[in-house]
Amino acid sequence: MADFFAAFSNLFQIWPLTLLAIGVSLGIVVGAIPGLTATMLIALTLPLTFYMESVNAITLLVGMYVGGISGGLITATLLRMPGTPASIMTTFDGFPLARKGQPGRALGVGITSSFIGGLISWCFLAGLSPPLAKLALRFGPWEYFTMVLMALVMLASLAQGSMIKGLISGCLGMLFAMPGMDPSLGQMRLTFGFHDLDAGLKLLPVLIGAFAISQIIKDAVEIDWRPKMMSVSRRGIIVGFQDVKRHGINMLRSGCIGTWIGLLPGIGANIAAMMAYTTTKNLSKEPQKFGTGHEPGIVSAETANNSSIGGAMIPLITMGIPGSVVDAILLGALIIHNLQPGPLLFTTNPEVAYGFISSYLIANFIMFGLMLFAVVHIAKVMYIPKSYLLSAVLVFCVIGTFALGNRFFDVWVMLAFGLIGFGLEYCKVPLGPFVIGFVLSPIAEEHLRSALMMAEGNFLDVFNRPVAVVFLAVSALSLLWPLYQERLARRQREALAAAEPLCQNDSI
Amino acid sequence: MKTRLVLWGLSALSAAALTLAPGSPWQDGGAVAAYPEKPIKVIVGFSPGGRTDTVARLMAKEIKERGLLPQPLVVVNVPGAGSTIAGRQAVEAEPDGYTLIHWHHQMLIANAMGTFEYGPTDFESVGFTGGGSPIWAVHEDSPYKTWADLEGKLKAEPKGLVEVIGIGTIPHFVGALLAKEVGFETRKVAASSGADRSKALLGKHADIALFSAAEYTKWKGGGMRALIFFGPNRVDKINEVPTAKELGYDVVWANPNWWLAPKGTPQDRIDVVANALKAVATSPEIEEWYKERVLDPYWTDGTQAEKESLELLEKLKEAAKDIKK
Repeated sequence: MADFFAAFSNLFQIWPLTLLAIGVSLGIVVGAIPGLTATMLIALTLPLTFYMESVNAITLLVGMYVGGISGGLITATLLRMPGTPASIMTTFDGFPLARKGQPGRALGVGITSSFIGGLISWCFLAGLSPPLAKLALRFGPWEYFTMVLMALVMLASLAQGSMIKGLISGCLGMLFAMPGMDPSLGQMRLTFGFHDLDAGLKLLPVLIGAFAISQIIKDAVEIDWRPKMMSVSRRGIIVGFQDVKRHGINMLRSGCIGTWIGLLPGIGANIAAMMAYTTTKNLSKEPQKFGTGHEPGIVSAETANNSSIGGAMIPLITMGIPGSVVDAILLGALIIHNLQPGPLLFTTNPEVAYGFISSYLIANFIMFGLMLFAVVHIAKVMYIPKSYLLSAVLVFCVIGTFALGNRFFDVWVMLAFGLIGFGLEYCKVPLGPFVIGFVLSPIAEEHLRSALMMAEGNFLDVFNRPVAVVFLAVSALSLLWPLYQERLARRQREALAAAEPLCQNDSI
Repeated sequence: MKTRLVLWGLSALSAAALTLAPGSPWQDGGAVAAYPEKPIKVIVGFSPGGRTDTVARLMAKEIKERGLLPQPLVVVNVPGAGSTIAGRQAVEAEPDGYTLIHWHHQMLIANAMGTFEYGPTDFESVGFTGGGSPIWAVHEDSPYKTWADLEGKLKAEPKGLVEVIGIGTIPHFVGALLAKEVGFETRKVAASSGADRSKALLGKHADIALFSAAEYTKWKGGGMRALIFFGPNRVDKINEVPTAKELGYDVVWANPNWWLAPKGTPQDRIDVVANALKAVATSPEIEEWYKERVLDPYWTDGTQAEKESLELLEKLKEAAKDIKK
């Protein structure tokens, strides 16, 4: 408990608070610009945090994460274009409501829901993480392996769009994680005698390539496109207590769905919003109103996408397993700062573990304040010509990637994965499973081989570990789930059909 | 045409500026430039924050503050592949004294394992600026209170205890050297980082793990108990832990902070750097700094450093034969 308060009082100093505010505002702005995502921003900021204290670096990045997911709602509401993939579902009701002459109201509902979603998942993050970390310490190699296996299976079955494409993407990601040092032989494998590959393909060059470079290529293709202006007034932006009460149940439900989806590795804010939206619609007495500017639609989408952030941080800080693509970058950030996320983080570096938790809470407050008072001005950044932005981003990509390991090989890797990412997206293969496969397969491999070394090669040893057996059972069930889900999905697909051309990518 | 003129003008100007600049080699009429006339790059094969990086940065800071060299040392982190990526960068660097690598005996292990084909003789040794040694720890609740307890169990029951190691890294080899000397066998489980090893030991998934003495002080009395120390002598902060040597086993792992230059770097330049490093490493404040971190402060010159490393390499190659079996 003392550590908890220490983290808060550490945060309430000029420098950390400034960093947090910078992070949130940059996040909101980047989130609001279609084509620039929070993933990209965080990946590019990471090299700049090398010489910061680790807690401050985390504070900055968490602020960006919260701002980035929230900023997307501005463009989604005013332009019917998700500023960040997480706000696709917000376009359905936010935009119609704005067009009916209530843009202020539409934004206000979205902003308030985002804030409340953040608070709900913060409660889970703060309440669950410390005990979960204690529990996770008791997890041995078998438990970790089966847990990661479960995550990979769930990822395939829950991923957006076609399961086959999700699987292809996931397997490709796993394949690219193979070259380098074999974790249980200490020998090089699949490096073809090419020593630059001895360290394997590193996470950040791959991520920056797949998410930033591929996006730049895509945006460059349509560089002259500019959104139409829409006049915005702040009228109706303040949402009263009565409204919050009216939407209370919806917020709570969507917040819990969002947190839960966030917890599962690999699927992030966009899926969370979709699940919450569909659930609310299915439970509603007036489902026909959804898609016409119905407030509950905005509420569930925005509550869920924000609450998924807190959810996704739980497995990251307690087990070192990223809950989303952004968390994979945060994992990289911790490792760069020589911190190993996992059950011991609360013991060895409580300031960092609780730093996550406290920054997340305060970031939500800052986001709420900034969005309410500055939304009209932020909305203008959507009209900045892309050519300026993209060239600056590209320069940062190259500098940032080089700085990670001080070698140019990483930059080539980044550029190559930019092309691969662009190609995959062009073929409508989602990138989310690719990255998660890339991140999780080394974790799975290392634990599986440790477990086998411990059991002297006996696979059946897994049945001596009850928790691992439960994870295996859940994995098996998840494989069967898509069959059942097929029917459900058909209905969802109809709802999505309208927004299909807007699905920019699968990143968050 | 115009641009060319401007360029000529600029280069003429900068040449003039160089000649007149204070401290420039031409100013005092000498033909030979004084080394170093530009910053010296120090490659570190690990991420910022670890021991190798911290010591490199400390040395760079002290050399600058004390004015021991006219130009700064600049630390560049090149992590990856058990620090061999950095090693290759150093091997391939120009041997002009402007590139150094700060490393440790992981180089010998990588060589013995066959993942790095270069050895001590492919570099010029500058010297050791101190070093540190590891311990073997068990969980605090473990029934083995002393080394004698553990040794009894290890000898009585081959492969009865689980030892967590990083394959092909220091913990693996130190464990193997001890096992060979004492005559026992453990069941080995892989865990890549120190954090993973502490997780395995504290979560009771393994019985024995190796940690650096500095890592151990974080857990001493709070989850772990060290039974044997691999340093040449006992050290203050963990004075209760006996050394392997006292217990009658010739296993010493004193992992040095090893400074190297690319093969062919002129000896007079190496001497300039070595003198600066030696002055820092042997100063009382730095000795205090080392002891605070359970490290051993000392200075070993390049010739001796290379000799010791070559001797150790032979031992490690022997151990590697068993390991790779």
